[in-house]
Amino acid sequence: MRILVLILLPWLAIFLQSTIFSFLSIKGTTPDLVLVFVTFFALFNTAEKGSGYAFFCGLLEDLYMGRFIGLNALSKGLTAYIVGRVQGNVFKENLFVGVFAVLIATALNYLFLFLISIVVFDVFHIDTGMLHHILYQAVYNTIVAIPLYIWYFYSSNRGVLRTSGRVK
Amino acid sequence: MLKFFKNRFFWALLLVIVISLVVMNLTAAQRSNITFVEKIIRDTYVPLQSGVSSFRSNWDRRTAVFNDKSQLQQQIKLLEEKNNQLALENQALQEYKQESFRLHKMLNFYNANRENYDLLPAHLIARSPNNWYESITIGRGSRQGVQKGMPVISPSGLVGRVESVSENSAQVSLITDREMAVGAIIQRTRETNGIVEGLGDSDQLRMINIPYYSKINEGDRIVSSGLSTIYPPGINIGTVTEVTPEPNGLLLTAMIKPAVDFNKLEEVFVITSYHPVEVFEEEEE
Repeated sequence: MRILVLILLPWLAIFLQSTIFSFLSIKGTTPDLVLVFVTFFALFNTAEKGSGYAFFCGLLEDLYMGRFIGLNALSKGLTAYIVGRVQGNVFKENLFVGVFAVLIATALNYLFLFLISIVVFDVFHIDTGMLHHILYQAVYNTIVAIPLYIWYFYSSNRGVLRTSGRVK
Repeated sequence: MLKFFKNRFFWALLLVIVISLVVMNLTAAQRSNITFVEKIIRDTYVPLQSGVSSFRSNWDRRTAVFNDKSQLQQQIKLLEEKNNQLALENQALQEYKQESFRLHKMLNFYNANRENYDLLPAHLIARSPNNWYESITIGRGSRQGVQKGMPVISPSGLVGRVESVSENSAQVSLITDREMAVGAIIQRTRETNGIVEGLGDSDQLRMINIPYYSKINEGDRIVSSGLSTIYPPGINIGTVTEVTPEPNGLLLTAMIKPAVDFNKLEEVFVITSYHPVEVFEEEEE
């Protein structure tokens, strides 16, 4: 059941991003729900598991978009790896930790996207419009992370996402 | 240090990074078709996305009656109770009138252009799930005759181009996407050939490569030139809002407000009879 939910989460996130959230966009920016779930997963698991799951989620997004396949997979995988590396040192019961992790993950994800674009395509065009998108998305992700983290935390402890009965 | 290199995760990570970079590079260029896996993934979304799209249309139609509640309250003060009922009914009819007007406009556009190109009407079912790309998904796919590369327009102007097709849906890259470029001319003078490129912003386009002697002015309408061989000529792209000289002094750059309101786009037409040259070139290769 846990595996099924973990597979359905990114699928559902892409569906919501392409439909409901596209109509609720803030200045044309939608939240990255896939990244939010990936961050939470990395926060409650090891860096290795987190990066593997994030890679799968990013790949699903890439295959849906059909362009630059591997770009989101790699950036999200690397972002989750970093989140997973620090998860052992943070107090996950605190809502602020989850929300702050999403904020940092958004910045990291964009940083990796830029770096990968520079490595693969030699150049990346960055302008103020793009910076605005990043800023709006960081805020939007942080807002949607609040209810989602509460749900994810309880699901990981007592709900459908529980592994061995308690958070590692 | 050696221990680090003996770590299996390190080698797996390195392998995944290398494979990803190679696949990314291969899929960065224009592909003649998307893979079977991509088609399957995309088609799993179509029924739900179509459902949400039609639910939203119905919802908008119903809530429109109640959105103008404050206006109706003012009317209650002015009119008799009898008129109040009529006013409410009128609100609903207004919404149907708007829809009828929109569809009538589309029909006129369809009739006016069907000699020039074959148009396939399509409903927008989803938008890009991330902010990286400016694209939409339409509820028509290869089963309905949509092919990669076909231009997409609306009665207001140029929308974009079909980027990839699955059985029942197609992904359309909007002209506002960073990777899109359209050959364009000024409709008034018809002398300047420039390139309109997307900025990743649904409210703005940029026209580059305009010679310094061009008589381009604010308010000029920009249309497709037809030189790009992808888009038919004469399709409205937008209006010039600002003209600035390039630092080298030889060229001008103009900011364009798109003719199409991409945030409110609901129905589009796919030009099915107009095939881009590059697709054939790719097949010949």
